Amino acid sequence: MSSAKKSSFYIRRIHSLVGLLPIGIFMIVHFLINSTVFINGNESYLAAVNFMKTTPGVIFLEVGLIAIPLLFHAIYGLYVVYVAHNNALQYKYYRNWAFYLQRITAILTTIFIVIHVWTLRLAVHDSQMVIQTLVGWLQNPVTLAFYIIGYLAAVYHFGNGLFTFLITWGVAKGDRAQKVLSIICFCVFLALAVWGGGLLYSLAQITF
Amino acid sequence: MNAPEFIQLRVKRQDNPTSKPYWEDIKIPYKPNMNVVSVLMEFRKNPINTKGEKIDPIVWECNCLEEVCGACTMLINGVPRQSCSALIDKIYEKYGSDKPIVLAPLTKFPVVRDLMIDRQIMFDNLRKVKAWVQVDGSWDIGRGPRMADRVHEWAYPISRCMTCGCCMESCPNVNSKSNFIGPNTIAQVHMFNAHPIGEMQKEKRLDALMGPGGIQECGNAQNCKRVCPKGINLTMSIAAVNRQVNKRALQRMFDK
Ligand code: SF4
Ligand code: SF4
Ligand code: FES
Repeated sequence: MSSAKKSSFYIRRIHSLVGLLPIGIFMIVHFLINSTVFINGNESYLAAVNFMKTTPGVIFLEVGLIAIPLLFHAIYGLYVVYVAHNNALQYKYYRNWAFYLQRITAILTTIFIVIHVWTLRLAVHDSQMVIQTLVGWLQNPVTLAFYIIGYLAAVYHFGNGLFTFLITWGVAKGDRAQKVLSIICFCVFLALAVWGGGLLYSLAQITF
Repeated sequence: MNAPEFIQLRVKRQDNPTSKPYWEDIKIPYKPNMNVVSVLMEFRKNPINTKGEKIDPIVWECNCLEEVCGACTMLINGVPRQSCSALIDKIYEKYGSDKPIVLAPLTKFPVVRDLMIDRQIMFDNLRKVKAWVQVDGSWDIGRGPRMADRVHEWAYPISRCMTCGCCMESCPNVNSKSNFIGPNTIAQVHMFNAHPIGEMQKEKRLDALMGPGGIQECGNAQNCKRVCPKGINLTMSIAAVNRQVNKRALQRMFDK
């Protein structure tokens, strides 16, 4: 028996909520800012990074809207991962695999984000240095693979999480609604996967 | 299908609730149209295992023999289902008649002995959420309004739940690390909250489902719906009750 005598209702609901808002939305904003690399490579990207870094008060947004919700979602989420007794090999249903993948990608994404934030946000500060470090990671096949696994895990976790969010909040109720929304959420995952792949590709092309 | 000479079973046995489980191979002469329960009944007339040793007959539970009581539920070739409706010939069609049929007790409930498990936790859970229509009190409540057809249409299937535990068995979030109340109880809340008189206890049921081990522990693996022998749309009920508890949470915050 779980030691939890107190109800986890509110903490679970908050966990579900912050996964989408602000974290999921932040990821999309992050992709949007990255997309400045599509305009003209290093030049436009550097301008975007500089703009972000020099916006006054950005640190409060970073801590309040990103760091704290993300840490909470990750730490409580690891507990949620721990509580499940996965049985995808015994019950080979699509949703059960998705349930299992949601937990695997939770762990992968956590590892990825910790390293990503450490190397690009906490360890270096100069904008051009940040970009150089990132491009360095993307030009080495091993670390590139790490990035590919990391971003794919993150966007899968978001897409599938969006679907379970819709059930948790009572939006997707009937069979047809659940089916249509699960397809839409899968398309969100695919779109983000293509978008993120395009970003990594363009970033890796940057020359200095 | 070629009729085999024997019906062979591999049974996971356990002598008492705390002893170590072990496997036993048994067989009986093949006859057509048997089910797992009738095979076990046949075997206990002369309980000699394949090694020729005389053994204690295998313990299991059954009552109705027509898939309405849920007592005979076990894992049959790894699938949670009722042994009374598990036809041997159908199993052979699916898995072939050359391999023994593997029987094991459900894994999410305490084993009493052999294939017999204790389903008490599910009945306790039903009690926690007041899964009944409360008519006893200091005055007569009367019959209440009739249930509309459109409600009856989805609520009736839920009433066919036999508390068999298949859904609990398949749910990854029902396990020894969690105290999750499970999908069947959530569906019962959905049904009783829609009943014109049952509705009077709606808030109490929802409060119980928001308590420890409540609906929030569901992780949407949706195995429950896939395995339910009564075809109960558990995932629809879970989403519907999610709606109700979210509303209830707002009520609890802002109504007083
Ligand atoms: S909901 Fe279905 S699987 Fe679950 S206990 Fe009821 S009848 Fe069995
Ligand atoms: S949908 Fe919820 S209750 Fe059903 S199997 Fe999945 S986690 Fe368990
Ligand atoms: S004996 Fe009642 S369901 Fe099998």
